[in-house]
Amino acid sequence: MGFDQFVADRLDRLLGYATAITCDKHLAQDIVQDVLMRAQGKWERIGAMDAPYLYVKRMVTNDYLSWRRRKAAKEIAVERSELAERVPSMADPADAHAEREAMRARIAILPRKQRAALVLRFYEDCSDAEIAQVLGCAESTVRSQLSRALQTLRAHELARSATLGVHS
Amino acid sequence: MNDLIRQAIAAEADERVDSRTVLAELHKRRKSKPFGLIIGVATLTVAAAAAAVIIPTTIKKTDAAPANAPVAEAQNVLLIGTDETHRSDALVLARFEGDGSATVISLPRDIYVGASPDRLNSLYMQDPRRLVDAVEQLTGTRVDHWAAVNMAAFGEVAAAVGGVEVCLNAAVNDPYSGADLPAGKQVIAGDQALAFLRQRHGLPLGDLDRVKRQQAFLAGFAAKITGETGPVLARLVGKAVQVDEGWDVVAFATRFQGPVKIRTSTLLVNQEVVRDSAYGYAVDPAQGKKFVEEQLSGKGQAGTGCVD
Repeated sequence: MGFDQFVADRLDRLLGYATAITCDKHLAQDIVQDVLMRAQGKWERIGAMDAPYLYVKRMVTNDYLSWRRRKAAKEIAVERSELAERVPSMADPADAHAEREAMRARIAILPRKQRAALVLRFYEDCSDAEIAQVLGCAESTVRSQLSRALQTLRAHELARSATLGVHS
Repeated sequence: MNDLIRQAIAAEADERVDSRTVLAELHKRRKSKPFGLIIGVATLTVAAAAAAVIIPTTIKKTDAAPANAPVAEAQNVLLIGTDETHRSDALVLARFEGDGSATVISLPRDIYVGASPDRLNSLYMQDPRRLVDAVEQLTGTRVDHWAAVNMAAFGEVAAAVGGVEVCLNAAVNDPYSGADLPAGKQVIAGDQALAFLRQRHGLPLGDLDRVKRQQAFLAGFAAKITGETGPVLARLVGKAVQVDEGWDVVAFATRFQGPVKIRTSTLLVNQEVVRDSAYGYAVDPAQGKKFVEEQLSGKGQAGTGCVD
């Protein structure tokens, strides 16, 4: 597949993925642009792979998890954690939109790698093996990252229901 | 809870920026030249021809003009080079001074009109007046008249003046355009003239060099236009030129008495945008106006040396 064709087919999806793991559309745009520029330079090799999309996704993920992006990621996390604190008190438990927003805020403050694993599973529908490939780790590590993320989200979910229960 | 997670992540992903924005950025980075800004380029082989052709056409009319014509006023003319399908392929805004000297500014044809998805090159076919309005807006300059030239007539036109002198920094042999020329000063005509103007592959600065070639050619061509060659050229291209109704071409032509001095430039554009999935340039009208004013007031460069 040619580079231009790849971009035409996958750019939107790649932006969605990057936005979901970074929780910041501008940071996502920067990363995707940088990665695609780099990918173009070695497209002869990437294009010949079985799964170019998986490889480019790995580049995007690595870029985000790299030390270069740590500061940007931290700033977003702080912003989102403030938001997360406010959401429960405003929410109506019957409001699906509020529920979803509350969950979004909680996902945004997960550790970066856990969130990446979560997005790969729930947005990209990747298997453990594929996630391991993208994150560059063992499958057992993927499983532990996912279970820790789910544990955290569940704990928050329980706490939130309890809080709202008291108020209603 | 898994469904909720799925929905939350999808909502986050929905925040993504428009992929066309990213496409435009990628396109821009890929093309960006050492100059740091994108130089929009009038492709036209033929814009140069458009400017060169209108002049001899009007010279012919001069023969019939009264000998004691009053001193002519400066006039702004939009020169439109069209291809075989009557699309505008090249656009040049030219200001002809009373003494016959001219300043021409190439307008990249892919400039978007205001906020619309229309680009300049699509307007001529719709209605020449719409194109004129758009150019007036873009440049903040009044357009007095327009002339459209079918570029297909161009090869013959170049030959009719016995060729045009140009100078190349290095020899070229480009299979795409058919350009096969030695380095240094030379006189070109016919197919090689067209190839010289059309070549865009293998040039150090790509389209930017192409516009320089067009302008160098235009300057060389204008230098060849005299009272003697004018009538011949006029016969050749008379049928290929169309002008707006109400333009007194005879009165206009009284200003041309000898070889025409031409200053050339290209409207600078620095922001490439995508509308309706097509690339084009957006130009800030204030910047466009400033640039055009400076050029028309004589700050454009006269003549050209050797080109790449």
